[in-house]
Amino acid sequence: MKTMAALLGGGWVCSSGFGTLSQAVPAFTVGALPQIQRQDLFAAPDRRFGRMDPFSRLGLTGITLALKDAALDQDVKEVGKRRIALVAETCGGCLETDRDYFATVVPEQGALASPQLFAYTLSNTFLGEVALRFGLTGRAEVLNSTGGNGLCALRHALEWLLTGEETIVVAGLCDVTDWGALAAPGALFLVLTNAEAGDERAGLCLENDALKWGGHPLASVNDLLRLLREGESVDITTLS
Amino acid sequence: MTMMKPVYIVHCAAVTPLGDTLDTTWQALNASRSAIGPLERFATKSYVTSLAATIPVLEARDGSLLYDLLERLLLQLPALPQDCRLLTATTKGPIDLLEQACRTTPSPALTPAMLPEAMTGWLQQRLGLAGEARNINAACASSTAALAQAAASIGAGLADTVLVCCADLVSEFVFSGFSALQALSPAAARPFDPGRQGLTLGEAAASLLLMSEEAVARSGLTPLARLCGWGAANDANHITAPARDGCGLIEAIGQCLARARQPLEAVAAISAHGTGTVYNDAMEITAFRALWGELVPPFNSIKGAVGHTLGAAGGLEAALAVLSLQHAQLPPTVGLQAAEQTVSSMVMSRVQKVGGDLILSTNSGFGGVNAAIAISRVEPLVTGGNA
Repeated sequence: MKTMAALLGGGWVCSSGFGTLSQAVPAFTVGALPQIQRQDLFAAPDRRFGRMDPFSRLGLTGITLALKDAALDQDVKEVGKRRIALVAETCGGCLETDRDYFATVVPEQGALASPQLFAYTLSNTFLGEVALRFGLTGRAEVLNSTGGNGLCALRHALEWLLTGEETIVVAGLCDVTDWGALAAPGALFLVLTNAEAGDERAGLCLENDALKWGGHPLASVNDLLRLLREGESVDITTLS
Repeated sequence: MTMMKPVYIVHCAAVTPLGDTLDTTWQALNASRSAIGPLERFATKSYVTSLAATIPVLEARDGSLLYDLLERLLLQLPALPQDCRLLTATTKGPIDLLEQACRTTPSPALTPAMLPEAMTGWLQQRLGLAGEARNINAACASSTAALAQAAASIGAGLADTVLVCCADLVSEFVFSGFSALQALSPAAARPFDPGRQGLTLGEAAASLLLMSEEAVARSGLTPLARLCGWGAANDANHITAPARDGCGLIEAIGQCLARARQPLEAVAAISAHGTGTVYNDAMEITAFRALWGELVPPFNSIKGAVGHTLGAAGGLEAALAVLSLQHAQLPPTVGLQAAEQTVSSMVMSRVQKVGGDLILSTNSGFGGVNAAIAISRVEPLVTGGNA
């Protein structure tokens, strides 16, 4: 069983900044993440952006940049709803938000519990934020893996492409802690679509349970980042 | 849509507030019993209600009530093949560990043991399964999404056997949040009743073991049903409220039936999400009416009996749907006094007959998620010998 995917674009946030894969391939190192402002992503005022917890803002930023890189970042008001799926792997998830929320519960035995914070105590909430902004109606799931290699969401995305459930998937990692495979806080998202064997756009491949990039086996997401930096089959393609 | 190999459900288990097994839960449910009662786990004076459906006498194991719940579930599992993959579904996992830490210290150190995926690692170790195990978080549709993923993996030939385990606890963390959102019902939940006032929380664990035809033949287990269709879609509408037009659920059901290669008319019954909130239930009725018009199949909700079990809801409801097919009956919607007028002949407070071979199970949740799976009777296996 083999399935191949083309990379349409990518977005990232790391301690040294944020951007798209067309601009640069990031290096993830431990450090504080940049303070991202609404203006960095969206031209129009967005009241929700400032209310989001740090995990959701990080994930929304990474995916928005990936969609921009793939020229798929049109607002739902412009293009209506579209079937694009979202899958994110996280290790620490929204645990810091969970702590912040429960800190509103403990003092008065729940009388001052914050409904605003509670809404962000599900690690998939930020995918809802992405979906409603861009009108994305595909599957939207957050994964946690015991594999520890940071490839779980990419594998999941290829499975969705293989089974024909989805034709475009935004897949990647998002963590405000350094507990995950990146060993640093940050986000990395790729926009993937089906590719046929022999298609020169094909970069990512799932073959006999092995994930490969440009024919090179991937043991972890760090292998993928290294190959992307080395420029092995990294053409960002456009939807024709 | 890609052709898929058949996927069989060969074992189901559950621990719920109604019983320590799936069978006892089934019997209590069909006797219209409700496990909703006064909550003693934490003080509730600041909340909208003091009611929930909890499992009696859970004790902390490894610091969390969750692991006692899962131990009870594991007692019921058959031997698993070595190549069995594990998929879990939980929204908050051992959240009581974080609660304990926060009650001790205002800003406690966070540890991986507090994360939802701690449950995944715990189960993997306890079951002695190798390889990567994944937890899926799609809010209250988590376990339906996990079942869909398991079925897709087997159907596409990427796996032979997948165990889906799902669980969530009644915790003050979640209880306080739903109370703050004004989503809890002051009285026991009354799904699909015009007088409904919100949901009642519950807790449960459930598991379903899925296999390919080849794995069934090797295992000696008897298939109970087929998981023949699945679909999921996002409303792209709101992060905590469902789309009023039911667009995501309609798309998920359409995708599910297309995968099953079955028409709408083939659906004999629906195990609905039916949380008992005004908006969720209205959205589901809107979606069902949009799809089936006046001919909506019989449907039910079990949440007036066991509460809303969050990440476990879809798995538990799927396991009960398997029994619904076997017994040709749909359990009552406990708590229902009089159904919404437009569906009054489809949702009942008594047992309904199931006259066909296919049941849909649907769930929706925060983040705009919707998921549907189709479960059908098993046709005789070509390989024979096990059916």
